[in-house]
Amino acid sequence: MYALNYVKAKSVKEAAGFLARNPEAKLLSGGMTLLPTLKARLARPTHLVDIGHLAELRKIAVKGGRLLVGAGARHHEVATSAVVKKAIPALAGLAGEIGDPQVRNRGTIGGSVANNDPAADYPAAVLGLAATVVTTKREIAADRFFQGLFTTALEDGEIIVRIEFPLPKRAAYSKFHHPASGYAMAGVFIAQTAGGVRVAVTGAGPGAFRWTAAEAALANGLKPAALEGVKLDSREFNNDMHADREYRANLVRVMAKRALAKLSGKK
Amino acid sequence: MSAKTHHNHGPVGRVEDARLTTGAGQFAADWNLPGQLHAYFLRSDRAHAEIVSINAGQALKHAGVRAVFTGADAVRAGYIKPMHTLTFPGKGGMQTRAPDRPVLAHGKVRFVGEALAMVVADTLAAAQDAAELIEVEYRDLPPAVQPEAALAPGAPQLHENVPGNLALEAEAGDAAAVAAAFATAAHVTRLKVEVTRVAPNPMEPRAYIATHDARTDGYLLHVCCQGITTLRRHLAAYTGVPEDKFQFEVRDVGGGFGQRTPAYPEHGALMLAAKQTGRPVKWVSTRSEGIACDTHGRANIIDGALALDRDGKFLAMRLDWVNDMGAYLSPASMGHIRNTSTCMTGVYRIPALYASYRVALTNTNPVSSYRGAGRPDIAYAVERLVSQAAAELKVDAAELRRRNFIPPDAFPYKTPTGSTYENADLPGMLEQALKLADWKGYPKRRARTETRGKLRGIGIAAVIENTGAGQAAKDEVEIALDAAGNVTVYTMSKSQGHGHETTFAMIVADALEVPLARVRVRQCTPEKQHRLQGNHTGGSRSTVGAGSVCHLAAHKLIEAGRALAALELAVEPSQVEYGKGLFRSRDSKRTLKLGDIARTKPVSVVAEGKFGSTFPNGCHIAEVEIDPDTGAAEIASYAAVDDLGTVINHAVVEGQLHGGVAMGAGQIFGEHVVYDRGTGQLLTGSFMDYFMPRAGLVPAIKGAEHPTPSRVSPLGVKGVGESGCTGSLPAVANAVMDALAPLGVGHLDMPLTPAKLWHAIHSARPRD
Repeated sequence: MYALNYVKAKSVKEAAGFLARNPEAKLLSGGMTLLPTLKARLARPTHLVDIGHLAELRKIAVKGGRLLVGAGARHHEVATSAVVKKAIPALAGLAGEIGDPQVRNRGTIGGSVANNDPAADYPAAVLGLAATVVTTKREIAADRFFQGLFTTALEDGEIIVRIEFPLPKRAAYSKFHHPASGYAMAGVFIAQTAGGVRVAVTGAGPGAFRWTAAEAALANGLKPAALEGVKLDSREFNNDMHADREYRANLVRVMAKRALAKLSGKK
Repeated sequence: MSAKTHHNHGPVGRVEDARLTTGAGQFAADWNLPGQLHAYFLRSDRAHAEIVSINAGQALKHAGVRAVFTGADAVRAGYIKPMHTLTFPGKGGMQTRAPDRPVLAHGKVRFVGEALAMVVADTLAAAQDAAELIEVEYRDLPPAVQPEAALAPGAPQLHENVPGNLALEAEAGDAAAVAAAFATAAHVTRLKVEVTRVAPNPMEPRAYIATHDARTDGYLLHVCCQGITTLRRHLAAYTGVPEDKFQFEVRDVGGGFGQRTPAYPEHGALMLAAKQTGRPVKWVSTRSEGIACDTHGRANIIDGALALDRDGKFLAMRLDWVNDMGAYLSPASMGHIRNTSTCMTGVYRIPALYASYRVALTNTNPVSSYRGAGRPDIAYAVERLVSQAAAELKVDAAELRRRNFIPPDAFPYKTPTGSTYENADLPGMLEQALKLADWKGYPKRRARTETRGKLRGIGIAAVIENTGAGQAAKDEVEIALDAAGNVTVYTMSKSQGHGHETTFAMIVADALEVPLARVRVRQCTPEKQHRLQGNHTGGSRSTVGAGSVCHLAAHKLIEAGRALAALELAVEPSQVEYGKGLFRSRDSKRTLKLGDIARTKPVSVVAEGKFGSTFPNGCHIAEVEIDPDTGAAEIASYAAVDDLGTVINHAVVEGQLHGGVAMGAGQIFGEHVVYDRGTGQLLTGSFMDYFMPRAGLVPAIKGAEHPTPSRVSPLGVKGVGESGCTGSLPAVANAVMDALAPLGVGHLDMPLTPAKLWHAIHSARPRD
């Protein structure tokens, strides 16, 4: 790690002000990606502005037909929250499958969404549930938020405050764990929402994306058989020593079917 | 002498666990010495290159920097020739071509991660910052990454004195006899297998502090290691500093697996720094450095053939090995040849054997011993061949083994490669394992699995391995008794988590018939380092060797005590009886407590012993289920019957076995160090890409003992540290191959990742 200055923010507002004045400062929430990056000297911020402890970012509540999850909510809190389990059980389940207990007790939903790791779990849920990312500056629809490999609509100094999830009729997530890292080799989140069926995929490609052909195929009923032969463009999929494109494409189909089976109550 | 041990205790929890599980352990990185400086190593980011120049000018000017060392300093000091152990003659009397390895690379770098400079500074951050200021000009060379390619004509050459990158060509057995037997064979099974390169990854990263004493010109090294005697020998050979100039401090060690045995370049580099700066110099490895630079394990390619007669009796076996040793020979590399030829026949009567070995140097991190050091490799090669032969001949895999076992009455059994197996009851062990695993009930379980849309396979492995022995002249143990009756046991073996403080204490407490709490075990303590000889802990040898000497030392203490008690009781020593911590005069019925003989001064005895190899053996049976949709495999059941001789502490032994089984299963399903074949870049440099087995990989193991007590040592024990993975490597792989065989899938090399299995299943099945 390079030498840097640590700043413990007293509020989100103070953190935002600090970031505005210090363009090379970085936000620290759970630190589950940032700290290893710093240790490997792959980043050299002037300051770390810690917001991980702020209570104002940890609230979880249902309000006006939406589940509001504070950006600082840790994966373990989301996984075990009675509110989340009642409102969107699939989201609680997803949070409980992230990393290991240490990661789940440090990592936050805001950090995961802001980082947009192509194999992270939360982006699939945010996209699949047509959630809204609320920041210090504005509200951003999920469809506009994720912009590919570690890239989002966030501007410099913009801080995620909470994620608002419209309550779906039903939702399910199915994930195939990367054998080494535990991240998603492929994860598929399927939700029946007010706006129709949404199918979001993570892990397979350079970033979470909606599988629109599958959404169309499932519009007339959430049946695994409807996915047979549905087009899946895997040209941009990851192709590495752990898995080639063909295998990842297969996993997307299998995980989608398994998510559908969960929706219909079958294991 | 028949051993009466482990009878005085109920189940004994480990003495050391309270300390280790409450954060009270003292590991190498925990030490901090007054005035210490910190070292940071600049490591090569390329696999093969000439070092045209190194300019450390800016680094030396950086605040807090005390010194920068490079390969030139290493060469000047003469720290260039690490010990190696391939000291036996090779094919046609060939001598090993051992390359030099300056403790900091000089002239050339030969693998990604090789240290070429060391910065010593007041803080680690200053050292690391300064290292970034060192300007290195490289001239890139094409790398030789894969060992067979490295041995091929025209491959890039790593070292001038190792033509063709061939460090040694060796052989074992009788080539002519094997050729003759193959000519008459009714069936020949051929199989080329790879036992992949893995990173041992002990939980504790390497950490050292070197301190130089200008007055004596001696060195104090705070280390993590598997025993100071071997480390000292390696270091003396590497640096030319005499063995009596070394003192070590080593307390708790968080895992070793063979990787913590040898001297490393970093030891020597820190010694240079300590001497020049006059200050203690500390270095703690990062996890990434550990994966890249701590010696790797296995890395063998074995091309095998097994000849059988009409009745399925083995006639002959031939194995052609390519051993990838990485860029330099490690001081502990002999196991790849010695252990694999010692146990080449496995548990079978195979009349003719021949093995050839080509030891290749490649542009990769050096390879050394790793839990089994060749024993799991040979077991894997033989047991894959045998299961493959059974599949080809459509004979039950257990039956083919039964037909070819060395029968119990043939022990001690002299193998065709010249070793002598002590004893075993292989048919009895097999029957017990088949029963434990419910071998007969397998078809039903498979049918049930298939109704769930999954594939199921069963795999068996019957294995034997040489354990014990060791390179030290003898093992010595000192026992000191104080007036309170407390007994302190000193040994040069070193637990890295094995539980010596418990096992050795039980041995002594049993012999002295005193409560366990009276006995304390101390390992590699500084004051004994130049008094006691002994082997390091490795090769599953410590209970066989040092443990047995603990037993001898306790009896020696009783004899010494008898003489002292006789004086006190005013009788002839022959009239003094000992039992349960009391000396008793036969006639007068007067007694003395054990501690009473140490009332005027502490009593201490040193015992010694040198023991040959023991041959633990076992039969492991694994069942796996594979999800054909994803290729994910899981171990559905695992049964292990092992002959470990007499067992001192069953929980400790089970722990060793379970850990070994998980390690073998981890290698089969995912552990793998991968270098890019074109560039030599390390692709699995962190746990994001390097698969580590997790607890859920192995279900509860059904275990049982089938002991034939060893007569090599007075305790009857056989080694156990490595048995688990020797059995699990072939058993688990055989189970997966069995599951895939009905689809027409042939041999697959480890690691059997979900992607690899899915592709095999998918390409074997008609597309829908």
